[in-house]
Amino acid sequence: MGKIISESVQKEAAEVIVNSISSLEGVEAEVVERSSGTNPRNVIVANPSPDSWRALAEMLYSDHAIDYCSMITGIHWPERDDDRKWEVVYHLLRTGVRDPPSEDGVVQPIIVNPSTVRGFGTPVEIEVHVHLPDSRTPSIDSVQDIWVGADWNEKETWDLVGIDFDGHKGMRRVLLPHETPRGYHPLQKQHNLRYHGFEEMYDDSQGFMRKPDDVGKIK
Amino acid sequence: MAEMWISMGPQHPMTHGLWTLKVKVDGETVVDTEPDLGYIHRGVEKICESRDFTQITTYCDRLCYASANTWSHAYIYAAEDLLEVEVPERAEYIRLIAVEIQRIASHLMWLGAYGPDIGNLSIMVWCLREREMMMDLLQELGGSRMHYNFPRVGGVKRDLPYGFAQRARAKLKLFLNRIQEYEALYDESTIFLVRSQGVGYAKPEEMVNHGVSGPNLRAGGVNYDIRWAHPYSVYSELDWAPPVERSSIKGADCYDRYRVRVEEMRVSASMALQALDKIPGGADTHYEPEDPMILAKAPSRAPEGTSGAHHFEDSRGESMFYIAGGGEGRGKQPYRVSIRSPIFITIPFAAKCMIGYKVADIPAIMGSFDPCIGETDR
Amino acid sequence: MASSDWLDIVGWTESMTSWSMDNVHDLMPSEDIDLQVTVPSTWAWPDPFTIGPIFNLQDGFASIQPALEAFMHAMIMSTVVFGMMMTTMLAIPYIERKFIGRLMDRLGATTTLRSLWVGESGVTGGEWWNKLPFGVGGPIGWVIGALNKTWGNSHELETISRVNNRSYHGYWFLLPGFFQAFADFFKFATKEHIVPRDADKVVFEVAPVIILSTTIMVFAFVPFGPHIYAANPDLSLLFMMAIFGVAPLGVFFAGWASNNKYTLIGGMRSAAQLTAYEIPLLITVLGVAVLSGSFNIIEIVDFQIGREEGNVWNIFMMPLGALLFLITMIAEVERIPFDMPEAEAELVEGWWTEYGGIRWGLMFAAEYMRSYAACILFALFFLGGWEAPFQHTMADLPWVGGMVEFALSLIPGVGWILLKAWGLFAVFVWIRASLHRVRTDQILEFGWRYLLPLSLLHLVLAIAIRLLFWDGGPWNIMLPIAITAISGGIFVILAIDEDKDALEIQRRPYSTQAVVKASPGSHRD
Repeated sequence: MGKIISESVQKEAAEVIVNSISSLEGVEAEVVERSSGTNPRNVIVANPSPDSWRALAEMLYSDHAIDYCSMITGIHWPERDDDRKWEVVYHLLRTGVRDPPSEDGVVQPIIVNPSTVRGFGTPVEIEVHVHLPDSRTPSIDSVQDIWVGADWNEKETWDLVGIDFDGHKGMRRVLLPHETPRGYHPLQKQHNLRYHGFEEMYDDSQGFMRKPDDVGKIK
Repeated sequence: MAEMWISMGPQHPMTHGLWTLKVKVDGETVVDTEPDLGYIHRGVEKICESRDFTQITTYCDRLCYASANTWSHAYIYAAEDLLEVEVPERAEYIRLIAVEIQRIASHLMWLGAYGPDIGNLSIMVWCLREREMMMDLLQELGGSRMHYNFPRVGGVKRDLPYGFAQRARAKLKLFLNRIQEYEALYDESTIFLVRSQGVGYAKPEEMVNHGVSGPNLRAGGVNYDIRWAHPYSVYSELDWAPPVERSSIKGADCYDRYRVRVEEMRVSASMALQALDKIPGGADTHYEPEDPMILAKAPSRAPEGTSGAHHFEDSRGESMFYIAGGGEGRGKQPYRVSIRSPIFITIPFAAKCMIGYKVADIPAIMGSFDPCIGETDR
Repeated sequence: MASSDWLDIVGWTESMTSWSMDNVHDLMPSEDIDLQVTVPSTWAWPDPFTIGPIFNLQDGFASIQPALEAFMHAMIMSTVVFGMMMTTMLAIPYIERKFIGRLMDRLGATTTLRSLWVGESGVTGGEWWNKLPFGVGGPIGWVIGALNKTWGNSHELETISRVNNRSYHGYWFLLPGFFQAFADFFKFATKEHIVPRDADKVVFEVAPVIILSTTIMVFAFVPFGPHIYAANPDLSLLFMMAIFGVAPLGVFFAGWASNNKYTLIGGMRSAAQLTAYEIPLLITVLGVAVLSGSFNIIEIVDFQIGREEGNVWNIFMMPLGALLFLITMIAEVERIPFDMPEAEAELVEGWWTEYGGIRWGLMFAAEYMRSYAACILFALFFLGGWEAPFQHTMADLPWVGGMVEFALSLIPGVGWILLKAWGLFAVFVWIRASLHRVRTDQILEFGWRYLLPLSLLHLVLAIAIRLLFWDGGPWNIMLPIAITAISGGIFVILAIDEDKDALEIQRRPYSTQAVVKASPGSHRD
C-alpha cells in the first residue's frame, strides 16, 4: 500500500531533537502529539526566550538539518501579561532533501522510501513559540540569513502585525500598499473590522459616476 | 541599449493573476527583478477572527480560486487539530476524492494557461474542456462549480451523490486518455522543448531553503511530499507515489516542472479511482447529511491556550494553517488564523530564477511555477 | 504570353480604354487652331512677328493618347485588382476563424446556436419552448426534437457529451460568422484615435501608412489570373520582393514612435526577425527565378504551365525551395510560430500596442494581406498558378480528354489560384493552431544558421538543375519524380524516429527523464 512515514520513527526523531535543544539555555521543548484526521503526528513544540531564539535557530539549522521555514505568524495578545503581549510562532520542517547526485552527466534522483527512512533524514515538524514583552515596536532577531524562506514571511508579519525583525534587510510592505502610513498594522487587536461607512469610488452601483480621487478614500 | 526597468503588471495577460513584476532588462536579458504583491489582499486573516469555525471554510475556498477544495480542506484539518475531532473514515475517503479531483482541475487550469504563455493557443481550450468534466464532478459533490464549501469540521457536507461513482469513473478514464493529446502537443513539439528546457534552473536544496515545495520541488529529482512526510487522511491506504522528474545537473528547468504536473494529474486520477473502489460502505451507498458515517459531532469552541496547525499538500506546494483558539464568543471564533501560501514564497524565488535569461523566458519561467495570486495575497 | 483563359480583364480594359480614347480623339476638332496673333515689337524684339497655328487639338491629343490610355488602364486595373483582392480576402479571416475554431474545439457561434436545442441528457434547459404562450411551443418542440436527432449529442454520459462532443456539426454551421469581418472593421473604424503623450507624432502617423501602402503595393504586381494584373513589368518579381521588404521599416517606426518600452522591444525584435528572414526568402525566390528562367511572375507561371516550357510545377522540381519559402514567409508575416514581436504573453501586442481605431484595424488587415500575398505567391511560384492539377495529363486522356479540356477552360484561372491560395492559408492556420512561439534569439539563430545555408543550397540546386537538365523543352518526367522521391525520402528519414529510447534521450539535451511515472494503481487503460 502507500508508504508513509512511520509514526514511531517520527516520534523518535522528534525526541532526539527535543533532548538536544533543551540543553540550550532559555529553551523549553517537548514533543506534543497532535491529530490530523486519522493519523496522529508528533510535533516538537519549543518555547525559547526572545534572547535565545537566534541560538536555537542556528542550532536547529546546523545540528539538526532543519532546512525549511514554513511560516512565521505574529499574534497580538493585549489581554495577556506584560511580558507575553506579543507572540511569534515559527513553523519549521525538516524535509531531508538533498541535491540529487549525478553520474556521467545524468542526474540520479533521490527516491526516499518513506517506510524505511531513519535518523537524520526523517521529516519532523517543529513549532516554536516566542513570547515578546509589551512594546510599541516589538522586535525579535531575524533568521533571514539562515532560511531564505523566512524572508517574505518576516516581511508579511511586520506588515500585518507590526513585529519587527532585527537584522532583516529590505523590510518593506508586501501585502498592504507601499504608501500605507507608518505604524498601521491591521492585525493588531485595536483595529476592528468595519462593515459600514466605506467611501466608495463611485456614486452609483454601476460605476458611471466616479467621485474625485481623494474623497476620503480608505486605501 | 541601456538598462531599463519594465513593469509587467498589474494588468498583463501573462501574470496569471493580479501582481506586478518589475524587470530590469539590458537589451533582451533580464538583469534584476522585483515582484510586487498585495493587489488583491482582502484581509482574510483578519476577517476569520470574527467568524465561527464553520463560516471560515467559505473564505478558504476563495483563497486560491483555481484550487478551492485543497484550501478548504487544509483549513479543516487545522480546525480539527484545534478542536480535537476524530473524522470517520468514509469522510476521509470522500475528502480525498474531492481533493484529488480538485488537484487535477487545478493542474489542467495551469496547463491550459501555460500554453498561451509559450504561444500555443489550442491547448488552452482543450484543457478547459477537460476541466469542465472535473468541475462537473466537483459540482455534484459540492454544489457549485468553483467555491464548494465542501468539508465540515468532523467530516463532509454530504455524501457522494447517486451515480457519482459511475460518472466519475467514466470521466476519469476518458481524462486519462486525453492526457496523451496534451502531451502530443507539448512533448512532441520541438519548439516547446527548445523553449522550456534549459530555462529557469532551480536546485532542490536551494528550493527548500527558499521555502519552495510541492511539484516545483519534485521536478528537481527529490520525492518529498507532505502526504507521506507528515501524513494525513487515508493516503496510506492507496497505492501511489509522487511523480519525480530526473532533472538536469543544473537543476530543475521548466520542462521538468511541466512534466511533473502532467504525471501528477495521472497519479491523482488513479488515486481517485482507487478511492472510489476502496471507500468503506461502498461508493454507491448514499448516507444522509449529518449521518455519523460522514460527519462526526464536533465541539464548536476552542478555549484560549489551544492551537491547531496542519501542513497540507496543496496543488502548488505545502500550505499550512495555524489557528490559535480563544477568540470571541468564549472561543467560538478563533483568536488568530494564519495562512501559509506556497506561492507567496515561491514568487520571490521564481523572480530570482529569471535573472540571466531573456525577456521571452519570463512567461515560461513564471508560468511553470504555477502562480495563483488569490492565495498569495489572501 | 503562353497561357490564357477567357477572363481577359486586361485585354478588355485595354480595348475599352483605347476605344474610348479613340472616340475622344475623333470627337476633337481636327483643324488647326490658328490664332494669327501679331505680337508688336517691343524693346525686347525689334520686329513684329506672327504666331501662327499653335495647336492642333487632335494631333495634340494623339500625342498624349498613349499615355492617357495607359494611365486610364492602370487606374482601372488597379481598382479592379484591389477590389478583387479585398473581396477574396474576406475568405481569409473566415478560414482562420472557422478552421482554428474546429482545431481548438472551440466553436463559437455554432455552439451557441446549437445550445438552443442541445441540452443535457437530450433535454434543453427547462424546455423553454413550452413556456411560450398560447401553446405555440409545440411545433418548436418537434423541430427541436428533429434537430437533436440529427445534430445532437452522441455520447451516453450527458455531461461528457455536453462539453466533449467532437462530432461533425454539419456544413450549415459554417454560415454564422461570415459577417464578422465587416463587424470588426466597423468597430475599428469607430474607435478613438489616441496618441501617447510623448510619442513622436509624425513618425507615429507615418508608420501605419508605410505598412499599409507597401502591403497594398505588393498586389500591384501579383497576377490573379493570366489577364488580371495591375502591372506587369519585366522584373515584376524583383519589384515585388523589394516592396514586400519595406514594411519592416514601418514596423520599426511604429515600435519606436509609441514612447513605450514594450513596443520598443517589440519593434526591435521585429526588425531583427524580418531582416534575418528576408535574406533566405530572397535567395529562395532567386532560385525559383533561375529555374524558371525569368524575373517576371507571369512568365514563371507560364514556365510551369506551358507544354513547350517546363510543364511541371516547381514544387516538384524544388521541394526544398517550397519548404523554405513557406517557412520564411511565415516569419515575414509574423504568424505563430514566429510572432514573437507581437507576443501577447510578454508584450501585449508588441509593436502595435499603442495604436487603436482604424490605424490598428488597417495594420491588422495589412498583416492578413501579407499572409494572403504570401499564399498567392506560393501558389504562383510553386503550384503552377492558374493551372488545374494535372491539366495537361487529363487533357491528353484518350476519350474524355476533349471534354475535360473544355470543362476546364470554362473555369477562369483566377478560380484555381484562389483555391490554392486559400488552401495554403488553411495550412498557415493549421500551423498557427498547433505550434508554440519560438523565442527571438532562437528565431534569429534558426534564420541565420539554418535557413540561410539551406537557401544557398537550394539556389545551387536550382542552378545545377537548370544548367544540367534544361534543354529548352519540357522537363524529362523522371526528373521531378526523382527529385520529389529523394526529398520525400530524406524528409521521412529525418522526421520519423524508430528508436524510442534514443529519441527520449535526444529530446532531453541534458538527459533527464521521468523516473517515477504514474504507474501504481494501474488505471491507465
